[in-house]
Amino acid sequence: MLKDITLGQHFPGNSVLHRLDAMIKIILSMLYLVLIFLVKGFVGYGLLAIFVFCIILLSTVPIKFVLKGLKPLLIFIIFTAILNLFMTSGTVIWQWSFLKLTYEGIYFAVFMILRIVFLVLGTSLLTYTTSPIALTDGIERFLTPFAKIGAPTHELAMMMSIALRFIPTLLEETDKIMKAQMARGADFESGNLIKRARALIPLLVPLFISAFRRADELAIAMECRCYQGGKNRTRLNVVKVGKIDIIASLVFLLCAAVILTANLAG
Amino acid sequence: MEKSKIRKITITAVLSAISAVLMFLETPLPGFPPFLQIDASDLPAIICAFGIGPIWGVAVGLIKNSVHMLATKTMVAGEIANFLIGASFVLPAGIIYKKNHTKKGALLGLVIGTVTMALAGVLTNLYITLPFYSKMMPMDTIIEISNKVNPYIKDVMTLTLYGITPFNILKGILLSAITMLIYKPLSPILHYSKRPC
Repeated sequence: MLKDITLGQHFPGNSVLHRLDAMIKIILSMLYLVLIFLVKGFVGYGLLAIFVFCIILLSTVPIKFVLKGLKPLLIFIIFTAILNLFMTSGTVIWQWSFLKLTYEGIYFAVFMILRIVFLVLGTSLLTYTTSPIALTDGIERFLTPFAKIGAPTHELAMMMSIALRFIPTLLEETDKIMKAQMARGADFESGNLIKRARALIPLLVPLFISAFRRADELAIAMECRCYQGGKNRTRLNVVKVGKIDIIASLVFLLCAAVILTANLAG
Repeated sequence: MEKSKIRKITITAVLSAISAVLMFLETPLPGFPPFLQIDASDLPAIICAFGIGPIWGVAVGLIKNSVHMLATKTMVAGEIANFLIGASFVLPAGIIYKKNHTKKGALLGLVIGTVTMALAGVLTNLYITLPFYSKMMPMDTIIEISNKVNPYIKDVMTLTLYGITPFNILKGILLSAITMLIYKPLSPILHYSKRPC
């Protein structure tokens, strides 16, 4: 069960998308989210499909790999499609007791599926082409304006990269403790709510204790290396917004403008 | 042993990692809509708030949701709602326990936390989650279906009141119960851990 979780979906490569600055990619992904909710009509979705397809090609991530990201959402997509198909009122084509198939239903269902699919495809490319470390770095730089008003952005980014580092370790640890407790007769998967909540305790206590130990060791290691927070700390790799980032942003804005004008026309 | 800032950072980070791991183990509750899922991921946040400080507990929620966002399993709105609801539980509970550092204070904090969480649940669902989901599927039909299950649900307001508030209260009670059970054995280790020589 725990093995199915894929967190570091990073797909290493050296494409234009991989080389883009993480902060720019985060901003562009946010704009892309907004764009998706603005698109309407066949022409708009057609252009959007071409745009997404081109970006996937550009990223050199195999399409099969990208489509795999849709799998966890399959149930959600089917649920949405069925809801929209049969529950939208309009011109009835086919009816069976309370189930009505309407033109409007088909129309909405298709658009909703497209909307979710494009949403996931576009945003998952961000994690495919950016390593988690570059991503947290991007988030930190994206949040620097808030640091000026006193928000602890450096500490947050630091904690986030530590958390990312420890997630695989702790997943393994959880699995190990679960198996150890199951060998002692613990039951995690049956019983009512209260029983299940109680069953969590022999899992959680050892997990927390081992995590505290790791945190202590890490704190000592960091103190030994004189870590003292954000101010005056220099970086190993200094990242700057370059030419390629500006060009990419302009291309994205151009595409978005084309799609939105097609929207108004169609 | 004195708690340095670095130790606070590492403990918060590791607790956020546990929180993110637990968030993947979510299970839907029987009798509630499928997007309302229960998981123990707020537990590290509340333990962090009790053990280190209320703000650090909120940080756990923030990091957990940022990490979860990278996995893009759900839409972003779910994570924002989860953070707001989690913070509204952790922050009051942590502040009250900090002021009144007794078992009674912890219990009082958890009860008030549950209440504020239920309130925040209504607000975030009314203004963030449900409007977002209504972009994906027609809201009226959701209400129609909910109406068949629970005849009191007639519009968006009653949907949040009768569909989501009981869920959040139940979640708060469960969380509080587990916290009361496990915080005591954990706190000595959190505060006076034996440092390896």
